[in-house]
Amino acid sequence: MLNRNNAPDLTIPDSLLIPEAVTSQLKNGTPYITINSGTQEVIKIDLIFEAGSVYSSHPIIANTCNRLIEEGSGNYSSAEIAEMLDQYGAYFVTEAGNEFATISVYTTGKFIHQTLPVLKTILTEPTFASEEIETYKMQGKQRLAINLNKVDFLARRNFLNTIYGDNHPIGIMSKMEDFDMLSKEKLLEFYHNNYRNKLRAVFVGGKLSSEHESAIKNLIEELNFNHSNTNTSSEIKLLNPKTTYINKKDSIQAAIRIGKKMFNRKHKDYYDFTILNTILGGYFGSRLMSNIREDKGFTYGIGSGLATDINDGYFFITTEVGANVANDALKEIYFEVERLQNELVPEEELTLVKNYLFGSFQRSIDGVFALSDRHKTLHLNNLTTEHYLNYISRLKSITAEEIRNCAKKHFEKASFSEVVVGP
Amino acid sequence: MINFEKFELSNGLTVIVHEDKSTPLVAMNILYKVGARDEDPEQTGFAHLFEHLMFGGSINIPSYDEPLQKAGGENNAFTNNDFTNYYLTIPAANLETGFWLESDRMLSLAFTEKSLEVQRNVVVEEFRQRYLNQPYGDAWLKLRPLAYKVHPYQWATIGKEVSHIENATLQDVKNFFKKWYAPNNAILTLAGNCSVETAKELCKKWFEPIPAVNLTERNLPKEPKQTEMRRLEVKADVPSDQLYLAFHCCSRYDKDFYATDLLSDVLSRGKSSRLYQQLVKDKKLFTDIGAYMLGDLDESLILIEGKVSDGLNPSDAEEAVFEVIEELKKGISDKELDKIKNKAYSTLLFSEMSIANKALNLAYYEMLGDAEIANQQETIYNSIKSSDILNIANSILTKENCSVLTYLSNHHA
Repeated sequence: MLNRNNAPDLTIPDSLLIPEAVTSQLKNGTPYITINSGTQEVIKIDLIFEAGSVYSSHPIIANTCNRLIEEGSGNYSSAEIAEMLDQYGAYFVTEAGNEFATISVYTTGKFIHQTLPVLKTILTEPTFASEEIETYKMQGKQRLAINLNKVDFLARRNFLNTIYGDNHPIGIMSKMEDFDMLSKEKLLEFYHNNYRNKLRAVFVGGKLSSEHESAIKNLIEELNFNHSNTNTSSEIKLLNPKTTYINKKDSIQAAIRIGKKMFNRKHKDYYDFTILNTILGGYFGSRLMSNIREDKGFTYGIGSGLATDINDGYFFITTEVGANVANDALKEIYFEVERLQNELVPEEELTLVKNYLFGSFQRSIDGVFALSDRHKTLHLNNLTTEHYLNYISRLKSITAEEIRNCAKKHFEKASFSEVVVGP
Repeated sequence: MINFEKFELSNGLTVIVHEDKSTPLVAMNILYKVGARDEDPEQTGFAHLFEHLMFGGSINIPSYDEPLQKAGGENNAFTNNDFTNYYLTIPAANLETGFWLESDRMLSLAFTEKSLEVQRNVVVEEFRQRYLNQPYGDAWLKLRPLAYKVHPYQWATIGKEVSHIENATLQDVKNFFKKWYAPNNAILTLAGNCSVETAKELCKKWFEPIPAVNLTERNLPKEPKQTEMRRLEVKADVPSDQLYLAFHCCSRYDKDFYATDLLSDVLSRGKSSRLYQQLVKDKKLFTDIGAYMLGDLDESLILIEGKVSDGLNPSDAEEAVFEVIEELKKGISDKELDKIKNKAYSTLLFSEMSIANKALNLAYYEMLGDAEIANQQETIYNSIKSSDILNIANSILTKENCSVLTYLSNHHA
């Protein structure tokens, strides 16, 4: 008779293998990193530039430059560029963060030769035509107006402003007027300084034939961009924690953000804090989810996380709860934070979290694009695969006492800022 | 191309295995052929509420999530109008834990009052967060009853109203389970580091003892043909006007599905598409616009939704959409046809990147009739001619087949 009460035996490996990437250099010194694997005939090329928002004094210039770079170049209008990409099923994803801006091309082995010339014109001769800027302004203003009606958006931006202040690109809150200050000259200047002169690294992942590999590398050499590795990041002044309440009338839910300035991946407490955060709010079975969703039913979801940049990071707890239970939810959040400082995590729970994180890490390197993203994180942080291997061994060795110590050190209530947006 | 092997257990459970030794993981996907269309009109939102209860412990195992996480696994689920899908990924060495958990909840749930009460609250908060407390969040709650007068697609998966969820009883939950959650109403797929032999052995051990049930034949009312344009104007506290146009179209099973899907691509796939170029870039009537086909298993909808530029009259914007449609009916060039086929090809490749997606794709096409259809998509799309697309455009993109929902912003007050 089959016994359904007992769980099957489990195996958690002692170590794991992280496939290495192949690193070489372009003639100008730019690191060029490839991962050749996968079963589908797909290719992704990521070009990373030092063109994030820290590189501009204007609040939205980095983002706009990144978004408009594919909207017309050389003799091609934005419509023609879009047509050339769509014709062969390729697409661009562009992203500007705090430190870096990325231009990614997704294409197929079948059409790589039709895609590469489009990539070249986009990167080397963007026009930033006034008409495109006007369209972008209209879109941007409308998007901002809609977002300003969302409790979650309001909570997030006010929270980041509380932690980083008005003078830091992460903390600054964009306004309608920011769009009016955009101009072709400003965008071109930013493009020249931060794209042409600050290529940080190139990543290529997918199922690559040697012919694909050399075509891609040749094209990137031909761009003749300058390499840069400056790691500029604006200084973060530690601001005093504060509690903010923002009224959004008629809202039937309240958005909550709680957290503080934290640290980057290189901090000595990074691994321990990552594990601590998982226990608090980093997975479905976390304490915040178990208490506030699965026991009380106050919310559809609650979580916490550590967001890291090259030089810094912040910790946050985020949720949207029924407006009538916002105070109860806050009480329970602090209850869980304090419990981690005062009580040891039971062995059973600690084992579960360790095993879960091990599996999670395996998932995070599964598939060629996922693996490429992990190598990107390592490279941009000047780390090697040892960073992840050390994390795995810390997962194995950390004790309940060490987790409590980490919570005592970093979870002091007085150090947290809190933002609530509700009726 | 996804290679697979398929077999059926004596209780009617269909099993599909795609072996991929390059990954240390296995994705396990279970699709139950029950969705919001199978709900009682007075008890909507039930299939989705039930999905939440599937995580509240099963007959022999008090918690679903804990043992899975302990085995290094992760899971999630979604419900739509036609089916409910559960999936997990787990290190291959611990795959049996997945079998243990999934087979026990197929066998029977724990059905506790506490779990029901909590999940009712969670789903009500989901209702508020996603549909009621967002600008335009309730669009689908208004659009569905406008487009459908008799078919159950007239309500959204989340339900018609919050009270339907609040009033669900434990007996309702038990009845729903008995009716739909059975091996002969499910498809199990495995993708990743798992051989067919292992799959057979584990299926025999964990799933085969679960008895089949007598399935009641689905007999849903057919939506009568729409004969005149329907309109709903909503004055809402939103910053700008928004426009939704819904046109009835064929079901996912229909041979016309592929031409209809490509028709929505001609309208709006990519930035070079007709709607975006003409109405956002050239005429600046919208700040964004898109079109897509829902692809439901019963007769479905093509949706066009756009954000009207500030200061413009939404009826002018609407008229411009119909001008684009009329122009489309005049012809599609070979180049344009190649373009949307190439897009369909690359979308297909990118959708087969992860083992979890492969497992879901195989289950989905098996539900449509045969998992092998997953591997025929490229050929089928390539066989479509521009005349096929124009025929569909002429028959469905008409005013009398259209339901229009307009959100008027507070600027109109």
